[in-house]
Amino acid sequence: MSLTLSRRGRAHTAALLALVLLAAPACANDEGGAGAGAPVKIGLLASLSGTYQAVGKDIRDGFQLYLSSHDGKLGGRDVELVVADEGNGAATAVPAATKLLKQDRVVALTGVVGGGSVAAVYPLLNETKVPFVGSNGRPELKDVSRVWHTSYLSDEPGEAIAQHVRDDVKGSVYAIGPDYQGGWDELRGFTEAFAKAGGTLANPDGKATFTPFPATTNFTPYFARIKASGANAVYTFYAGSAAVDFVKQYAQSEVKDLPLYAAGFLTEGGVLNAQGEAARDIYSVLNYSPDLDNAENRAFVAAWKAEHDGSPTTYAMASYDAAAVLDRAIAAAGDEATPERVNAAIGQLGQIASPRGTWQFSPTTHAPVQKWYLRQVRQDGRALSNTVVGDLATVGG
Amino acid sequence: MAAGIRFDPYVVPALDGVAYGLLVFVAAAGLVLCFGVAGILNLAHGTLYAIGGYTAAALLDGGWPSLALALAVGVVAATASGALVAGLLTRVAARNHLTQALLTFGVALAGGSLLVSAFGPDDPPVRVPAALDGSVVVAGHRYAAYRLVFIVVAALLAALIHLVVRRTRAGMLVRAAVDDAEMVAVLGVSPARIRVGVLAAAGALAGAAGVLGAPIIGPGPDTADAVLLLSLVVVVLGGLGSMVGTLLAALAVGQIQTLGVALAPSAAPFLLFAAMAVVLAVRARGLATVRRAT
Repeated sequence: MSLTLSRRGRAHTAALLALVLLAAPACANDEGGAGAGAPVKIGLLASLSGTYQAVGKDIRDGFQLYLSSHDGKLGGRDVELVVADEGNGAATAVPAATKLLKQDRVVALTGVVGGGSVAAVYPLLNETKVPFVGSNGRPELKDVSRVWHTSYLSDEPGEAIAQHVRDDVKGSVYAIGPDYQGGWDELRGFTEAFAKAGGTLANPDGKATFTPFPATTNFTPYFARIKASGANAVYTFYAGSAAVDFVKQYAQSEVKDLPLYAAGFLTEGGVLNAQGEAARDIYSVLNYSPDLDNAENRAFVAAWKAEHDGSPTTYAMASYDAAAVLDRAIAAAGDEATPERVNAAIGQLGQIASPRGTWQFSPTTHAPVQKWYLRQVRQDGRALSNTVVGDLATVGG
Repeated sequence: MAAGIRFDPYVVPALDGVAYGLLVFVAAAGLVLCFGVAGILNLAHGTLYAIGGYTAAALLDGGWPSLALALAVGVVAATASGALVAGLLTRVAARNHLTQALLTFGVALAGGSLLVSAFGPDDPPVRVPAALDGSVVVAGHRYAAYRLVFIVVAALLAALIHLVVRRTRAGMLVRAAVDDAEMVAVLGVSPARIRVGVLAAAGALAGAAGVLGAPIIGPGPDTADAVLLLSLVVVVLGGLGSMVGTLLAALAVGQIQTLGVALAPSAAPFLLFAAMAVVLAVRARGLATVRRAT
């Protein structure tokens, strides 16, 4: 399987390299960036195919929603949005990003679902000095001077909910998650903050339990261990199909009466439909919920529902915000919207009004300092939905 | 009492291992029929299971009639797909397993893409009949009602498979074709027809497993690969051509994946393949001695 994909990827890379070589002389005199009057080119890279295409399409649609509700302009300038497919990860993301950065010569890059894709595209960003306003995956990066994220850092959801779980649960909590970088970060955020708040883990060795990923589809043996540990509640992070399996099996397991707390991705977007009734009453922590009561969110949700079925996700919201960030930065950059000037302007933005509530970039991590919300899966009209039941910590920086 | 406490946490994983093992058996039985009995390596076998799974997701609405309908449609669709694979294999059937593997692998890739474009990239929800959509208490533990019923149904299917292969004329022809295809041809039965029949029957089994097993191993873009991998492990562990061996191997895989994980969670990522390596190492030596002796 992987052999075929990489071979195809290599063919794509070769084809793109040839294109780049052909195109290079033609645009050698192009200065990069856009003068007054000419449209501003923005590159959007997201998974439009493969495992994460549901997230990728939300990211594309969120950005386009901002454009269509602002006359197709950012910072008063017409925008030419160039969309490219990130695919399943680095192998497909790099050639697509190469095209956006070197051939289309975009002023800024946005989107990117996978943390691994961001890490793979990062050297290209450094080489071309184009600012990146990411709206989802955020790996560990050395130098973030040209990298910004409107999403979150992976350890923040757990950090934000730990105190609440400590106050709410009488007894110990079992922590469990998938065995890969994202899972380790999510669970570490929780276990560290939970220990600091004086909480006790029910896990026998005092450390979070990690399940093989993506191989684990049957969680029954783990539920038996949770039961045997005598835990009073469970904290978890899963996403995608693992989240569906975990939640459906949990609801029929012998630990089904233990309250389940989770990073919001467990019940966010399409997976909630697949989980159905099994997801009812699950508590989750996220930086967004479609029922937040503020003017920006009411406008955002109304505009989204006019074009799409169902409510917007945090992925769509983060991409919508990436467009809002670029809107203000391009306006501040003035007539000469070059990559350097746009990047400098992003650093000066200060408070940003958003459907999630007001937030700002942390000066050190370039990720949001934002409020997190406690949500519970409840009946909303005919469907189940993540309903905000309280505010949690403001985390970031 | 002390023993009760010690074994208590492992009751549910052990029970679940039986359900899981029987599902893997029904899914793998088709592959064993093709590969072990008829000598055809069908790497599109997981895709046939996925067809059944997607059918279940599309048709099940929480009632019993929809389960019967899904089972009928899923089995028919997977049987037809199996026969289609047999048709494609006609020209290369005489060649070696590598050619068959390449052809059926291509079919699996194309079929997988078709399923994703038809049903979308997400894992679709599967609704089991309302009466089974809950949990029951077994020996003081909660267990999913559907899985408990599934154990009974899958055990019946396993018995049926055994009877058909051992006791019916069709089963005898298939076994005869493996032993001596030319002699069967001389008797007036076309090996090509047997091949189509075996692949169609394998498709029917995979389709039935896909529909009934959808609440356990649900349909999705990765389902075909996962089921194919598990089935191949069972084929290797169980030895070729023996349904009893296949059943024992499938039940072992089920226990390794549930009880094994509950007993040694830190070894979970490699338990299955470690077990496979051990069995291969021990058994390969055993086979070699047999050969030397004869």
